[in-house]
Amino acid sequence: MKEKTGVKAARILVVVLICLACLMPFYILLVLSLNAPSRVFYEGNLFVPDFYWQNYVDAWNKSRIGTAMLNSALITAGTLTITIVSGGLAGYAIARHPGKFNGFVFGLLIGCMMIPGIINTVPLYVLMRKLHAINTIWGMVCVCSALAMPSAVFIYTTFIRAQPKELDEAAALDGCTPFMTFWKIIFPIIRPATASFVILNGFGIWNNYAQACFFLQSRDKQNIPQALSVFFQQFAGARWHLMAATAVIAIIPVVIIFLVFQKQFIKGLSDGAMKG
Amino acid sequence: MAIKRFNWAQLLSLPALLIYGVFFVYPLLRGIGMSLTDWDGMGSARFVGLRNFIQFFHDPRAIHDIRTTLVFALGSAVLLNVVGLLYALLMNTQFKGKSIARVIIYLPAIISPLIMGYIWYFLLQPGRGFLYHAFLQLGLPDLVGSWMSSYSSAMRVLVLVNVWQFSGMTMIIYLAGLQSIPSELSEAAKIDGANSWQRFWRVTVPMLMPAIRINVVTNIIGSLSVFDVIMSLTEGGPGYATESLSIYIMRMCYGSRTGYSTAVAMILFFIILIPVLISMRLTRQKD
Repeated sequence: MKEKTGVKAARILVVVLICLACLMPFYILLVLSLNAPSRVFYEGNLFVPDFYWQNYVDAWNKSRIGTAMLNSALITAGTLTITIVSGGLAGYAIARHPGKFNGFVFGLLIGCMMIPGIINTVPLYVLMRKLHAINTIWGMVCVCSALAMPSAVFIYTTFIRAQPKELDEAAALDGCTPFMTFWKIIFPIIRPATASFVILNGFGIWNNYAQACFFLQSRDKQNIPQALSVFFQQFAGARWHLMAATAVIAIIPVVIIFLVFQKQFIKGLSDGAMKG
Repeated sequence: MAIKRFNWAQLLSLPALLIYGVFFVYPLLRGIGMSLTDWDGMGSARFVGLRNFIQFFHDPRAIHDIRTTLVFALGSAVLLNVVGLLYALLMNTQFKGKSIARVIIYLPAIISPLIMGYIWYFLLQPGRGFLYHAFLQLGLPDLVGSWMSSYSSAMRVLVLVNVWQFSGMTMIIYLAGLQSIPSELSEAAKIDGANSWQRFWRVTVPMLMPAIRINVVTNIIGSLSVFDVIMSLTEGGPGYATESLSIYIMRMCYGSRTGYSTAVAMILFFIILIPVLISMRLTRQKD
């Protein structure tokens, strides 16, 4: 049965309007970032900027956003590495060697999965101070790893349970230790699980602010959100052109990564969400 | 009789347990003890029993923060699901450019909510914001000016920004749910004479129940601990009007009321426990 053309046109119109609403703030951010500092806001055409590129140079020099990007990259890479390796191993142990101990580990992680980080941030701060882990990248990596661990263990356990046990048995016959079986046999074939985990957690680690504002306060250890909030508070609402340019620089990496991997991203998100 | 050898392989879960135990479970348990003291973060702590909790319920600011947090969470959860489901129904049809539209609608969700808050601050700030001037130029001065100046308008703005940012996420999950519904079901209902409204309520919605549950629970729990977007968009203002419990915890901690702030965290924990338990109950009933 063919749909009426009118209905179809209306639907496309609605979709276009929704997309415009999603893109509009980004466009205006770009406009703001390209306006000259001297521009009086309500003169001339609002939607056409001055193309004053100097803002980006000033923003880069004054905001420490470059250092912050490096820190965010280190924190994200470190956290993902630790959670993938230890979460994958734990998923393997839970799926293949269930017992009282691993039942406890799984129950603990899944039971606490829904508890947001803010609940334990204050006592965690005290612990981090004792460990001299405040204002260190490794400290932040440990905090973020703990927050992402339940998700990693859950995803890996689910995926490994779905793999045939004959794989392990064959590996054992060939003399593989359990660790080698995981690393050489299981881990490579559950790459979709790793993709799913990175997709569901990567941006959250990169964008973390609720923990960063406690644990990364020194100027050279800030991650991107913390650096932005410090930079913005410094101007107390003035100099929007610089703030907007910094915000554009800050979101460029995530937008590029998202656009490059968008196919895998949408797929991984639907798969991961429906399994949960 | 065979002696059962200890299975070392089960200990491969030890690294994960160690990280999680030290950096999540231990502080969580430590927080319970801390919440019963008057500790200021530096000196010695004195056991005060439930005094922090009693103080909390006598502080009008704290009670207001509970209200703000609940209004934000419920408003966000309802709107995120309604809007996300409508988007998904719209995107579950065939048209050109569908995959591009899906990417664009999802795009805001990958950006840090803190940065999103700043972007919307540039748009909405009365007197200087971009939309403020756009509406003035369009000759619609009635639409502008009151944003973020009162509790109810600021709350509306916060909820709408949150919904604007994350409805793409609920949409993707609803789309996955819609695509898993076999089309025969809808066809059969059609043959039986059900109109599209009846088919939506009697076939689509019941089949979408798992997706609805995932979305509602994650949205409520996520919004109950809201922090970033409020910090950048209103800083909890005007006054303390839009301060969430998470922000209150941070401010009390920086205000050297360490013991008290952990007590507030415990209260937030119990608030979050309610939707968690309800969702576990619902999942179990289904099984």
